Amino acid sequence: MKMYTATIPGSALKVRSRESYYARQKRLFVVVVILVAIIPLLFISWTASHFYQKSWLDKTTVELTSLANSRREIIDLFLDSQENILAGYAELYDFAWLSTPGNLEKLFQAMNHQGVIVDLGLIAKDGSHRNYTGPFAEDLKDKNYAEARWFAEVMQNGRYISDVFTGYRGVPHFIVAVTDPTRSWVLRATINSELFNALLASAEVGPGGDAFILNRLGELQTPSRLGLTALPTGEKGLLAATTGGALTIHHSQGSLYATTGMKNNAWTLVLKTDIGTSLADFYRARQRDHLIIACAALLILAVSTFLVRSMMNKVEGADQQRMLLYDRIRYSEKMALIGRMAANVAHEINNPLQIIGDQAGWLDELLSEEDLGQLKNTDEYRTAFAKIKAQVKRASTITHRLLGFSRSTDGLKTPTNINTLVEETVSFLEKEATNHRIAIRRSLDPTLPEITTDTTQLQQVFLNLLNNAFDAIGNDGAVTISTSLGDRQLAVEFADSGPGLPEEALKKVFEPFFTTKKAGCGTGIGLSISYSIVERLGGTIEVRNGRQGGCVFRVNLPVTQQ
Amino acid sequence: MSEFSILVVDDEEEFVATLVQRLRKRGWAGEGVLTGGAAITRVAADDFAVILLDMRLPDMDGGRVLQEIKKIRPQSRVVILTGHASASEGEEGIKNGAFDYLLKPVEFETLLEKLEAARNRGP
Repeated sequence: MKMYTATIPGSALKVRSRESYYARQKRLFVVVVILVAIIPLLFISWTASHFYQKSWLDKTTVELTSLANSRREIIDLFLDSQENILAGYAELYDFAWLSTPGNLEKLFQAMNHQGVIVDLGLIAKDGSHRNYTGPFAEDLKDKNYAEARWFAEVMQNGRYISDVFTGYRGVPHFIVAVTDPTRSWVLRATINSELFNALLASAEVGPGGDAFILNRLGELQTPSRLGLTALPTGEKGLLAATTGGALTIHHSQGSLYATTGMKNNAWTLVLKTDIGTSLADFYRARQRDHLIIACAALLILAVSTFLVRSMMNKVEGADQQRMLLYDRIRYSEKMALIGRMAANVAHEINNPLQIIGDQAGWLDELLSEEDLGQLKNTDEYRTAFAKIKAQVKRASTITHRLLGFSRSTDGLKTPTNINTLVEETVSFLEKEATNHRIAIRRSLDPTLPEITTDTTQLQQVFLNLLNNAFDAIGNDGAVTISTSLGDRQLAVEFADSGPGLPEEALKKVFEPFFTTKKAGCGTGIGLSISYSIVERLGGTIEVRNGRQGGCVFRVNLPVTQQ
Repeated sequence: MSEFSILVVDDEEEFVATLVQRLRKRGWAGEGVLTGGAAITRVAADDFAVILLDMRLPDMDGGRVLQEIKKIRPQSRVVILTGHASASEGEEGIKNGAFDYLLKPVEFETLLEKLEAARNRGP
């Protein structure tokens, strides 16, 4: 139901076009809230996660480094000690003594208190096996090493440690060989590499971690915990040879590697920690954090959207109220201006009207003094003068009504019972209502307080509204007059059973000279006079189309507390 | 002055001239002035039975003229005739001692009745 109080055409459109403005503002506020509230949350979460990961990596790097160093030192020490023991014996005993059956056995017993030496052999300069003690005597009895690469190397350098191999025995082992000081024979020991395995197995590299030794070709010298048989392709960079044997930390494919050269960089010790497995708990915690943050973000989004919406709705409501008020003020200013203009025009016209009327009357009087027998058209003159007088009177009724606009507000104000005033006004028009078969129904609130107002002017308004309703109905219909008490004001409504008014007409109905009646049947001043009277009495007047058709005029009047 | 003497005060010369002529025909000794100042001067000189006064005059406000007239001759009977009088303006005039007020345009017969009533009012 639309209501027009003081709605200037076009202002309703302005309100609609501002809807997109409020929608934009709502979106903007929501985005700002998200930026202000959610981004710091994400930033904190990201930095916490980042720094935790970084500190874990730093700590693990340090641990891995120290582990690699300690394991390298132990293994190097072990290899050196085996080599040195063997070299000591080679210096201490001569070839003849060592060749003597049983002596090598004694040496083996002395060396093998750790249980790591598999066998001990004496090889002559020509590569032939001269003495042997160990489990493979039958297999190696006639073996000649003259063509073996290791034999050539030991004869040249005086010392040699091999890579790990399974050899004839099917057991992983490596050999340590030394020559006597004159390099005329070789003492060779086969060492079980199981000891390394044990040393590396005890390295704490965490779940998914690995520890192994590689030779120069990247072949595994010790078993991999993860069952690797060779260095994975793409990881050749791990070989100590590429870094000059220095301890290096590699970070690749979710793993952290510590590599260091050993045994004069012939071997590379590789310790690997799997970042994903080691940080699994952290990742789980981070996932949970992300979930919490996502929930918090959603909550913030929902709450901020709700708050922004309700806030913007309030702002929008307040703006609309303000705009409506602004429209009212503009309208009443416009009406006041029109009123002043109308009153001035009326005044300016009243003087010439007076003169026209007087001149006609004067001519009529003079005519009486003429010899009527000599005048042919006496009756015509008389009729013309009468018509002039009648038209002056007609014009003056309009100008006198227009003067109503400038009537001052300080008319006599008396305590008035609005219900009584309604009844009294209705009584003036009862005869006319009966003539047009119009029923006047009343629904008057008996609890209405008396208000102090200009009774005469207010009655003028009620008369105007009732006359208007009668004109709208024509014949056969009803006017319902109801009064009610509201908050610090009371209302009088005049609802007619006429055809109602189109929207455009509703907007203009209070403007002077606006009329829907036939030309000559109404001046279009009654409602605008009523409007200005009610305004001056501190009230408002509204019009709308009723639910059951017809127009409803509502006069709101202030109730002053006694 | 005779008891039918009347002073018409209005800035509309046409109106004054015709009215004075018509009043004379009805036995009134009419006289017209166009300004408030002239009206006061005339009232000071002669005691008119009735004064017909417009509220809007070129030199001064009709209300002022009424007050001045009442000062000079408190018994004078003034009928206000104006093109602009609203109810309150007329009532204001009556409060200030005017006998009655009429709104232009007024029919000559009505005007005459009012003037007669004013003239017949006891001093």
